[in-house]
Amino acid sequence: MSSEFGVQRQATRITGKSCLRARSKHVRLLVVFSVLLFSFFGPCVFPGSRLLAPDSELSFLPEAHAADVPPLKGYVNDYGDMMSSTTKSRLEAELKAFEQTDSTQLVILTVPSLEGMPIEDYSIRVAEAWKIGQKGRDNGIILVVAAKEKRMRIEVGRGLEGRLTDLTAGRIIDLVIKPRFKRGDFNGGFIAGTAALIDAVKGEFTAEQAGPAAKTDSLSPIFTLLLFAGIGLLMLGSISRILGGVAGALGLPAIAYLTVGPSVLILVLLGLLGFVMGIFLPSLFSGAGRGRGGGIFFPGGGSLGTGGGDFGGGFDSGSDFGGGGDFGGGGASGDW
Amino acid sequence: MKRLSTLLVCAVLVMVASGCGYNTMQQNEEAVKAAWGDVEAAYQRRNDLIPNLVEVVKAYAKHERETLQAVTEARGKVGSIQAGGGALNDPKAFSQFQEAQASMSSALSRLLVVVEQYPDLKANQNFRDLQVQLEGTENRINVARTRFNKAVQEFNTSIRIFPNSLTNSLILHLTPKEAFKAEAGAAKAPQVKF
Repeated sequence: MSSEFGVQRQATRITGKSCLRARSKHVRLLVVFSVLLFSFFGPCVFPGSRLLAPDSELSFLPEAHAADVPPLKGYVNDYGDMMSSTTKSRLEAELKAFEQTDSTQLVILTVPSLEGMPIEDYSIRVAEAWKIGQKGRDNGIILVVAAKEKRMRIEVGRGLEGRLTDLTAGRIIDLVIKPRFKRGDFNGGFIAGTAALIDAVKGEFTAEQAGPAAKTDSLSPIFTLLLFAGIGLLMLGSISRILGGVAGALGLPAIAYLTVGPSVLILVLLGLLGFVMGIFLPSLFSGAGRGRGGGIFFPGGGSLGTGGGDFGGGFDSGSDFGGGGDFGGGGASGDW
Repeated sequence: MKRLSTLLVCAVLVMVASGCGYNTMQQNEEAVKAAWGDVEAAYQRRNDLIPNLVEVVKAYAKHERETLQAVTEARGKVGSIQAGGGALNDPKAFSQFQEAQASMSSALSRLLVVVEQYPDLKANQNFRDLQVQLEGTENRINVARTRFNKAVQEFNTSIRIFPNSLTNSLILHLTPKEAFKAEAGAAKAPQVKF
């Protein structure tokens, strides 16, 4: 009787113990998985999220079905075919010289048609896409002319609004450009209008003031991603080699895909690399015993860094033309 | 187990360092504030033009007292609401702001329709200058509103998506911000054409 009870008690004790052990294992797994979840998905929405949705400017809103912004070719972008070639080359030279002395960028765009869009909406889209003017100085001017609608607009960068006020811009349109356009003298209108615009903003900025363009100081999001992934990998790998391998095989290409977006072949190779890393990285750690530290992260990160070396390639990197000037809707419009 | 806890501490540290979206949300809120500043500045610019405009119109169109009064009243209302401030964080104040500006817009466009009947006024250089400035200001308002809405959308998204929402509910307690709604006469700048 008593021995029976004893056995029973012992049995309950055993099951209780194993239950406890099992629960602690569950908790452990849960913790590991939640950390892994963070490590893979968290960084996607951290500062690095810019990479996933590359600077979707106002200009590329889905409803922008009307006229598209053409690529920026130079100072004179005569898509509307309104100027003679001599005028074009003359204005190119003038505007280039003006930028060299004053650092102010003046760009002319002619389009055949606005396709139903108000010229104000179109020109701000152009301004946002081209980013004429230097970052921080916002010294850009865009003269937009639509041939079919007979509308024009001078879009003025924020830095020049003091000199080239809406009023001045309106007067240049009304008194300088419009009369010539009305007569059909487009070449004369562009030349005189450009001269008037240059006169209006001359001296506001000079080339000597122009410092190096401000650089964005944010750390590469790849670094954060890798740090997270590395920790997740180690945790999974310390539970089971296979689990670590699988996580590595999936995680590494996933990170590469999210940040750099390389070809399928590279993704597969990265997957293999991740698999190997997932299996061996944890054993490196356990093998190293006490001596493990943060140092081990960096070789891994380094080898990946070379793989993702050329990401970015932003809209305005490297070019001094269209360097990030900001427009706030200043300027004036008119017709002829 | 010890190794596991060390790793866990590491993970937590890294998460703290990159902030679980803390920084992103703060940045986005600042962006919204900046965009709001531009909106207010653009509206203020319009408000500053009104007295001159009323003055010039008054000289030529004495009989349009009602229309002129409507503009002046709308301006006063806008001024008092702007002085109150806080429209950015208070949905009620925000809709009041929007309403006041909309009534300002409609009063203005009525004034400009009335002006059509006075050729002398339309020929006045002073008036024409004001008109160009008003046009420019309406355009700035339009741009500032669009950009504000975009900033708000970005901010609202950033406080809702996953780890950010956790950080927000635990630490920041930011609430979604109101965006401008398109409405007749306010979404599109009144066409000031002669």
